[in-house]
Amino acid sequence: MKGKPAFTPEVIEEAWERAKEAPVALIDCREEIPCNPCEDACAKGAITVGPNICAPPMFDPGKCNGCGKCALLCPGMAIILLDRSGGVGAVRVSVPYEMRETLTAGEEAWAVDNEGKALGRGKIIKVSGKDEVGGTRLVTLEVPQDWALKVKGVSGRKLLIEVPEEVEEAPRQQDFLLCRCEEVRVSSVREAVGLRFRSLGALRRYSRVGLGICQGRFCQSMLRDKLVGESMMEHAAAGIFKVRPPVRPVSLSRLGGENG
Amino acid sequence: MDDVLSSEVVVIGGGAIGAATAYYLCKEGAEVMIVEAEDLAAGASGACDGFLSLQTKQLGSHLEMAMESIKLFPEIAKDLEAEIEYNPCGGLMLATTQEQMKELRARAKKLKASGLEVEVLSAADLKNYMPEMGKNVKGASYCPQDAQVNPIKLTLGLAQKAQEMGATILKGVKVENIVVTNNRVREVNTSEGSIHSRRVVCAAGTGSNQIGKMIIVDIPVMPQRGQILVTAAREPVLKTIVYGAEYLGTKASIDELMPKEEEALKLGLGFTAEQTASGNILLGSTREFAGFDNQTTPEAINAIAKNAINYMPWIKDADVIRSFAGLRPYSPDGLPIMGTVKGVRGFYIATGHSGDGICLAPITGKLISELVLDGETSLDISPFSLYRFK
Repeated sequence: MKGKPAFTPEVIEEAWERAKEAPVALIDCREEIPCNPCEDACAKGAITVGPNICAPPMFDPGKCNGCGKCALLCPGMAIILLDRSGGVGAVRVSVPYEMRETLTAGEEAWAVDNEGKALGRGKIIKVSGKDEVGGTRLVTLEVPQDWALKVKGVSGRKLLIEVPEEVEEAPRQQDFLLCRCEEVRVSSVREAVGLRFRSLGALRRYSRVGLGICQGRFCQSMLRDKLVGESMMEHAAAGIFKVRPPVRPVSLSRLGGENG
Repeated sequence: MDDVLSSEVVVIGGGAIGAATAYYLCKEGAEVMIVEAEDLAAGASGACDGFLSLQTKQLGSHLEMAMESIKLFPEIAKDLEAEIEYNPCGGLMLATTQEQMKELRARAKKLKASGLEVEVLSAADLKNYMPEMGKNVKGASYCPQDAQVNPIKLTLGLAQKAQEMGATILKGVKVENIVVTNNRVREVNTSEGSIHSRRVVCAAGTGSNQIGKMIIVDIPVMPQRGQILVTAAREPVLKTIVYGAEYLGTKASIDELMPKEEEALKLGLGFTAEQTASGNILLGSTREFAGFDNQTTPEAINAIAKNAINYMPWIKDADVIRSFAGLRPYSPDGLPIMGTVKGVRGFYIATGHSGDGICLAPITGKLISELVLDGETSLDISPFSLYRFK
């Protein structure tokens, strides 16, 4: 095994120590989702997801050079950078940012925690990456040491307590991706519904929803709510997706091994 | 169903065979009603691979029927609005022993004499077909006419087209009784009411035995389980459908091609591999009798994985993302049961296709449609009569 699970207190402690010298990544990933861009992003081999793509990453802070690529590539925006080399008092935290508002170095912004609650204001030291809608930027904030570890993001909005502002509603996405594994959009599901299926199992055959890596465990509640909500089917008729082994991707060589 | 329904023809079963039968009946202008207990492709047609295999058919009428059937796929693919992923990719049957090789050679000769294109390939020839072969693979027989299709899309596409041509599809409706008076079918009683009809086609797959009982006829079909593994989707690597010679051994009970290990024999293990249009590789399969239990089992998953690596070592790192099992309508000799029933006019059987239902669906649909509407068929189906078992 390379490193230890990234979110364990030990690893966080080690990263905090290392941040005294230079920037280091802090990975707050504990969801077992099929995802591993962080592993490929790291040129130093500090992050390992391994053959089981659902496993949370292993992280070795000793190998991290603080380049920040993993933070830019993590689809869940679960990685931040920590830098305490500037001395006592102020810690620099770099967080990924994908919102529309422009953030400018020298100004102040709100640092937010895991649930999006404001922690306090911090000075923007640097904004790297292209400043465009949908692009990921890495925003470096200087914040007090006591809550630096809680910072997970930055808000570009002027917070409501300051100046109330009309919030413009983003256009609603009509055709969202319902089944991520098989990339089935809700429009294809509606099309399949036109064929008047009688159970989720039949819908699966009609539209490929739930035929992928998660076998429907991630999308089926949304699917059922959507279908019942749009009166496409009775809740009782929906049933559940059958999940057959293996419940996670397993290589053939492991399945065929003597230990089964 | 408050009113009493009626239809010129009732097709019991919404699988590939029932859908194809309805499709061809509608093409001839017949009024058709499909009665399906669950949902379209809910049985064997929705839980199988997409092999359209000619070189595994029994010599004679079975092969002749399959060759006629394969000719219909391009037409169907063109005619249906839905994409059915028909792919005339050819098929490789791999031999792992000299004994198997000898048998495949002898078989190739006979298949050729029946008009099928078959070529015997050496291990060296196989390099053109696959990244790497298992060390013990001695050669193969290659049939360019073998093909593949998406069985679910085929079934849904045929049913949808039939519906457009006027067929009614009743889903979640169970047939409870068939009323016969004066030696003729009159009425089909269902969980939702009665349907007046003088012609009934039994395309109920594994449920056919139950349907037969309603007219006091023993249709000897029993469920045979086949388990299949599904890998994560990947770039196209398999150019053809692939099977091991043991697949044919367990399918057609050919002693020379039977698996040697006891465990494999018990599972009816035979190697199959195909890459679907979506990029997943389906690895099979087994032939087991487990009643109506369609669960997958650790023993079979383990055996299929081991077997696959044996034939295609390069696949060992592929991730398996799920498994499934289907219940094939097995007949005692592995051949379909088709035709009329003595003493019950208006009752037609189209079932028992075992593992060949997808391949034989178009020709079965066409021939049964002819039988129902004209009383005779363009191909002789007497070898598939119910009465061959007596």
